[in-house]
Amino acid sequence: MIKFVLMVNRQGQTRLSRYFQPVELSRRAALEADVVRCCLSRKKDQCSFVEYKDYKLVYRQYAALYIVVGVTDSENELSVYELVHNFVEVLDKYFSRIMFNLDRVHIILDEMIQNGHVVETNRSRVLAPLTALDKMVD
Amino acid sequence: MSDVVEKTLTALPGLLSLDSQPGSTKLSSSSKLGNLIRGITELTSKHEEEKLIQLELTSIKEQVSSPNTSMRQMKELMVRAIYCEMLGYESSFSYIHAIKLAQQGTALEKRVGYLAVSLFLNESHELLLLLVNTVLKDLQSTNLIEVCMALTVVSQMFPKDMIPAILPLVEEKLNHPKEIIRRKAVLALYKFYLIAPNQVQHIHNKFRKALCDKDPGVMTASLHIYLQLIEENPEGYKDLTTSFVTILKQVVGGKLPMDFNYHSVPAPWLQIQLLRILCLLGKNDQSTSEIMYEVLDESLRRAEINHNITYAILFECVKCIYTIHPKSELLEKAAKCIGNFVLSPKINLKYLGLKALTYVVQQDPKLALQHQMTIIECLDHPDLIIKRETLELLFRITNAQNVTVIVDKMLEFLRVNKDDYTTIDLVGKVAELAEKYPLM
Repeated sequence: MIKFVLMVNRQGQTRLSRYFQPVELSRRAALEADVVRCCLSRKKDQCSFVEYKDYKLVYRQYAALYIVVGVTDSENELSVYELVHNFVEVLDKYFSRIMFNLDRVHIILDEMIQNGHVVETNRSRVLAPLTALDKMVD
Repeated sequence: MSDVVEKTLTALPGLLSLDSQPGSTKLSSSSKLGNLIRGITELTSKHEEEKLIQLELTSIKEQVSSPNTSMRQMKELMVRAIYCEMLGYESSFSYIHAIKLAQQGTALEKRVGYLAVSLFLNESHELLLLLVNTVLKDLQSTNLIEVCMALTVVSQMFPKDMIPAILPLVEEKLNHPKEIIRRKAVLALYKFYLIAPNQVQHIHNKFRKALCDKDPGVMTASLHIYLQLIEENPEGYKDLTTSFVTILKQVVGGKLPMDFNYHSVPAPWLQIQLLRILCLLGKNDQSTSEIMYEVLDESLRRAEINHNITYAILFECVKCIYTIHPKSELLEKAAKCIGNFVLSPKINLKYLGLKALTYVVQQDPKLALQHQMTIIECLDHPDLIIKRETLELLFRITNAQNVTVIVDKMLEFLRVNKDDYTTIDLVGKVAELAEKYPLM
């Protein structure tokens, strides 16, 4: 299962964090900093899957942003690696018309991952509820 | 970086502008959150961050308590509170206002209220009870978007003791004409199963109905419940094997609508889910395994496209083939597949290949022998993760002849390794080997 999804920049500043297993607020900053340190120390030609504590990190870099997903051992790392890309493509499709919004990114993530499991990967279906909401506002 | 990624990168203005162009104007200048994020980005010390966030929290606290704050403004305030909590600064005073926002807001305001609740609270939080009435109301709304929101939040967190109050309403939604409602209702039931399985025992036949739903999304949602049920009791669901095989056949054969494709591969995560289910059903069961051979063969063949997601499916396929009752032709093809992974110059595939080898090596030690040169190369690989995975593999194929060499390599690795968990794990393995081969 997926334990958390993080979007962190190279300076270690968190842009988005979503925890599917409870982690105390006070421990999150340290965890995130440690995770990004771990990913930053990796070179370009190295594996995108890192063993971290008793679970694994799957990370993917997009320019200055790292998207890191914490997963349990039973997860298929490559499928999570591509899930990240799918997520980025969904964001790309949606935000090409709208300015970046923290709440909207969360709403999109809500549609894709619940309880640590992948629930929807069809791009149009992921965006449908949000697009409907946007129409209501207009 | 591939072309696709490059294209995606340049089309992500908002996200990247925060980090690649300082002082960018992509964020709306009137957005308080935008200003806050920009402010935080430019700071260099934790102390300064604390000061800025405390100021922000004080401001938010003032405004949420004011009677003049509209729901629209409340929405903005909640998002700012979410941001503060994301950085690790508690804003518990806003929790009750999140619930109020979900109650009193409309459209996006309501949605953000629900979002805030799902981020702020947890299953056992006392305030969660206050959400139940709002959820009940929204579930009965004529506005389908509100029904969707309610179902979404229910799938994320819901107080266990209140399930009986909401269960009939959710069950009713299983028959809704709109697929999105049916799908979300199934996911809500999955959540109920996770937190209180005995509460949903009586509706197993409804899960079955969802599995046969004409909409692939609803069917996919039901697989979450089935995977769980089958993990716990494979015997009870062997009769569904043919259904799962048929579904996988249709997916692999491209029978789903185009929008379920990801880079021309039909519903890859669905394929993976189905393969996992088949794996559990076919284990130690020859007759059930025989039902799956054809579709597994088909999956192996179809996954010819050179894309990561195809390799992910292949990995799952190979794992399944090696877990269920053996069939030599399939094993041969699967072995070839693993070989291709291990020999691949792409490091992620190499990793996957090693992982697969570790999984199958007990059943097929010859396979490891076949690739021993590559394995030996991987032992000296600059990437510690590959090295580590190789050691894991070697541990499985240790015998009296090679134990000394393998333990030597493990000790060598321990000298450079800095991670505690890996150290503990490897030391345990060395100890185990020392016990098993005392004369080494």
